[in-house]
Amino acid sequence: MTGQRPRGRLVVAHPERKSQRALQKLVGATLCPVEVVADVDALINAVGEDAIAVVDASLARTRPEMLKAPAKAWIAVPGEGLAPAELAAVMGLLEAGWQHVVAHPMPILAEELLATVQKLLRADVFGLEKYVAWGAEVRSYVLADARDRESAVATLAQDVVAAGLPDRMGSLVSVIADELLANALFTAPMDGQGQRYRRTDPRDAARPLNGQDRVTIRWATDARYLAIEVRDLWGSLDPHKVSARLSRAGQITESETANSDGMGLPLAYACANQFVVNLCPGKLTEMIGLIDVRYKPTELGRAASFHSFFGAQPPTGVVL
Amino acid sequence: MSTQKLGRLEVTFDTGTINGVATTRLQMAGRIDDSAPLSSFIDNINTPAVIIDTDGVAFVNSIGVREWMRLLRGLAGKGCAVRLERIADVLITQMNMIPDVRGTATIASFHAQYVCGACGAEAAPLIDVAQHGAQLAAMQAPPMPCPECNAAMELGDYPERYLTLFKN
Repeated sequence: MTGQRPRGRLVVAHPERKSQRALQKLVGATLCPVEVVADVDALINAVGEDAIAVVDASLARTRPEMLKAPAKAWIAVPGEGLAPAELAAVMGLLEAGWQHVVAHPMPILAEELLATVQKLLRADVFGLEKYVAWGAEVRSYVLADARDRESAVATLAQDVVAAGLPDRMGSLVSVIADELLANALFTAPMDGQGQRYRRTDPRDAARPLNGQDRVTIRWATDARYLAIEVRDLWGSLDPHKVSARLSRAGQITESETANSDGMGLPLAYACANQFVVNLCPGKLTEMIGLIDVRYKPTELGRAASFHSFFGAQPPTGVVL
Repeated sequence: MSTQKLGRLEVTFDTGTINGVATTRLQMAGRIDDSAPLSSFIDNINTPAVIIDTDGVAFVNSIGVREWMRLLRGLAGKGCAVRLERIADVLITQMNMIPDVRGTATIASFHAQYVCGACGAEAAPLIDVAQHGAQLAAMQAPPMPCPECNAAMELGDYPERYLTLFKN
């Protein structure tokens, strides 16, 4: 019998032994070697370009510059293991440039962390299917015209309520879908000079969506999560700018909304429990908003988790 | 009284006198989004007091939030005293997240998401700020009766998402 070679290795950094064990068990499910350390110095010594670092959020906040050390990815997890991350901790990490911040406690932590680590290890990042159970029905709408945004959002909200989810979910889904679609339609298109030339287009104008302008929205629920995914074929989003923008969502002023990237993505992030950006530069941007439909909001983190991934190739089936 | 349709938003205007002060009442229903340039109302309002009722608003997107902020800022710039009544759930959460969404307006009442621990029902009852002022200032949501089983419902979200505005 021959065994498969591990796809990489993981380093878990947490000061408490009990949390170390829990995290080791979680990422051990990847069947990759897991090294456990208790402090930042040991962590920096242990990581390398082949390693994914899973770091207690409190430790991460003490030395945010640790991100400069070479690693395949840096993932911050809630400090106490069983308690959600504090809002300030999540915002601070996003501001410091962390691209993987898990905000929620167990058992959500387990699902989210394993999906995140496997996406990184397998270099297979695209698709909402990574987050919903096998068997969940995926609905897909292709927008034929920019004006289809409103009807796509309305249809999605109706479908969600028809699936037995409360009206509150329909409202959250509407905002997430609307903002992600607006981003794909009006912010994503970029010309050769790097100008986002659709940004000031009238939002109610007709525009057939052909070629690189095509936009797709998909959604699914498995009674754990409700996932909304929007794809555009520009691949022009900068995840670092997105995370920085999200980190100061609460400080946006009226004047900023008129002349900058606006508050669309922060608003979508505020309605979600997990916000994921998947990018194949120049080819595909995929954004996924996940709403947890099992737990009361007070049992979840005060802020949503954030993850951004780079993929070398768009998934099979995406026609460029 | 007159009604104006702004895209997917219906706005009813009514002008009268409340406690001796000329007051314009705006009642909004529908969606505050790209199709609702709310700031276009500013020039048409010429009373020192304005009441805005958003009970019927079901959706606000980022462009809608911007238009809302422009409306409040424009009214404040004209010296209008703005009072917000029956603020929709979708707006009050924005006000707690982004201070400019409230501006200098006073809040009379708002909707908030509640859940019933007994039967699992979800509802968005109206919270009167004057009646529950002390509790709200202490970041405590007043218990509300469940519309289905009459048990005491509790706030279904973190208090700061609804009550930061009222904090002492």
